[in-house]
Amino acid sequence: MTTIQYTPPTFRHKLSAMLAETRLRLINISRYPGQLVMEFIIPIVFAAMPMLLGQATAGDQAAANFAANTGTANYVAYLLIGANVFTIVSGAFWHIAYWVRFEQETGTLEAVYITPTSSPVLIAGVCLYSAIRSTGTAVIAFLIGCLIFRVNPFQGDIILALLFLFVGLIPLYGIAFIFGAVVLKIKESQSVLNLMQWLVSFLMGIFFPVTVLPPFVRFIAQLFPPTWMVNGVRSALLGVGFFLETWYLDMAVLWAFLLFAPLFGIWVFTRTEGNLRGNQGIGQF
Amino acid sequence: MTIPVRIENLQKTYQTKKRQGLFKSSVRQVDALKGVSLEIERGEIFGLLGPNGAGKTTLIKILTTLLLPTNGRAFINGFELTKQDDAIRATVGCMLMGERGLYWKLTGRENLVFFGALYHLPPAARARRADSVIERLNLGEYADRPVETYSSGQKMKLAFAKALINDAPLLILDEPTNTLDLPSARELRAVVRELNQQGKTVIYTTHIMAEAETLCNRVAIIDRGEVIAQGTVPALKESIGQETVIKLEGVIPTQASTAVASLHGITRSAITSVNGHNQLTVVTPNQTAVLPQLIQTLSGHGAILQKITPEEVTLEDVFIAHTGRTLAEDTAQ
Ligand SMILES: Nc1ncnc2c1ncn2[C@@H]1O[C@H](COP(=O)(O)OP(=O)(O)O)[C@@H](O)[C@H]1O
Ligand SMILES: [Mg+2]
Repeated sequence: MTTIQYTPPTFRHKLSAMLAETRLRLINISRYPGQLVMEFIIPIVFAAMPMLLGQATAGDQAAANFAANTGTANYVAYLLIGANVFTIVSGAFWHIAYWVRFEQETGTLEAVYITPTSSPVLIAGVCLYSAIRSTGTAVIAFLIGCLIFRVNPFQGDIILALLFLFVGLIPLYGIAFIFGAVVLKIKESQSVLNLMQWLVSFLMGIFFPVTVLPPFVRFIAQLFPPTWMVNGVRSALLGVGFFLETWYLDMAVLWAFLLFAPLFGIWVFTRTEGNLRGNQGIGQF
Repeated sequence: MTIPVRIENLQKTYQTKKRQGLFKSSVRQVDALKGVSLEIERGEIFGLLGPNGAGKTTLIKILTTLLLPTNGRAFINGFELTKQDDAIRATVGCMLMGERGLYWKLTGRENLVFFGALYHLPPAARARRADSVIERLNLGEYADRPVETYSSGQKMKLAFAKALINDAPLLILDEPTNTLDLPSARELRAVVRELNQQGKTVIYTTHIMAEAETLCNRVAIIDRGEVIAQGTVPALKESIGQETVIKLEGVIPTQASTAVASLHGITRSAITSVNGHNQLTVVTPNQTAVLPQLIQTLSGHGAILQKITPEEVTLEDVFIAHTGRTLAEDTAQ
């Protein structure tokens, strides 16, 4: 053989590489069992705080007052859903930031970049991992929370709720990747993660309906797909009311985000990558 | 026939921000490569020898597509850099940054299988390839333990194993023995030699002169981002035209030593007596060329040689001749 052949990877090859990335991360996290246990507990504690505050302020009227503002008296489930969807959303940011930053430091980011697997394929693998990990823990934490606070988790339209969850995940990861690009560039994750955490939890309305926000802030909040995601899940399960009156219009908005956000996210990420290659390289930390 | 590596005038300038007080910063430029051109032939072990900071890693990172060059072109396995990067990545096996680049929570085998997947090997082939690499490098004893339990040398060997996972025709190794102890380093070099004999072309960077000398067919000496000399190891040594000394001991009759004095290629010679036998000291600018005829002439005139000590020119001498510095000195820009 005198010339060296190269056959570009097929779709199956890429899929297989993507799943290998997902599997790697799942194996990796399975070796930190304590971490996983904490993830079931944190959203419950997180939701318990406003519940207790609400009971303390409104006493017997808590449920009735809550219903007047949100459309459901079931504030326990409402807050649990908020906290658990937030777990998924903040998980997306954490997992991607952690992937970029940690692998930059350990040198594995460069190690995977010198393979013929392209970064969008790796990115997809990381997203799938994050989605599995955080929806898994969110659903389990929701069920445990319902058990602890004695509410029926199986009410409303569960299929529709899951649909909102899964459709919402995709634009969420699109946005998370813009964030990943920032981490890649500034080589810092802690401070930006903290900032994101508070901003996101406020904007998506984990403990209150965004309809109570002033119009301008509400407008900003509704540019953020997780806001639609959490409201969709709540509407499906608790009937709090869709933003655009019907479920399919709300779903259509999420689909619009879905078609646009991931492509934009990957575009920003690969551009940042290209920029870094032009100077000091993606592995510089 | 594809030349494994052809590099034309590669340049790389890093821009770094330099802090000046709290808010001010200025951009500083580092010219890490100042126009490097090289051609590496199929089946050779090509050494890149230079002190720390010479630009070796920068060059390797460009060749492995991690960095974009500021200027210049390169073809690797016949594929053009920056235009056919995926083909380059698929047909090169690399070991960069030593023991970094491994997943510590995973076992050695899990690491290899994972990287096999990223090189698009089918699942069964990944496992088989990992097995064969583990066997070849004797990793069996610890391949199924998490990497975090490995010694530094074991991690290095696993990193080397990773470079072999895609069975590429070209291996690019950046200081692969850097943190290894002497026996492990020797073992790794033996494997490199073996792989080379089986047809793999190797680029091997090092700042250790002896390593380049014993392992490489050809060497490029790189300093401050420039190739200052290149060629086969003997040719490089001859190129500086430095005179060296050969000491020959034994029973050396006078007619033998006078015959030597008139040989071509010998600058000076002197004979002394030490402990009842003779020692002939010969000064020559070209040891390799002179030594055979030297021995032949002496034996032909009845000398019985017991010990020959050629005092060799080393690549270090070559480096010193070109730069006035030793390889051990780091170069900072
Ligand atoms: N990311 C970077 N940013 C700025 N300067 C760098 C960077 N990487 C390397 N350099 C500089 O470039 C020069 C060559 O470095 P390098 O390629 O690592 O040399 P070697 O591998 O031969 O030790 C050195 O002066 C080094 O300080
Ligand atoms: Mg180096």
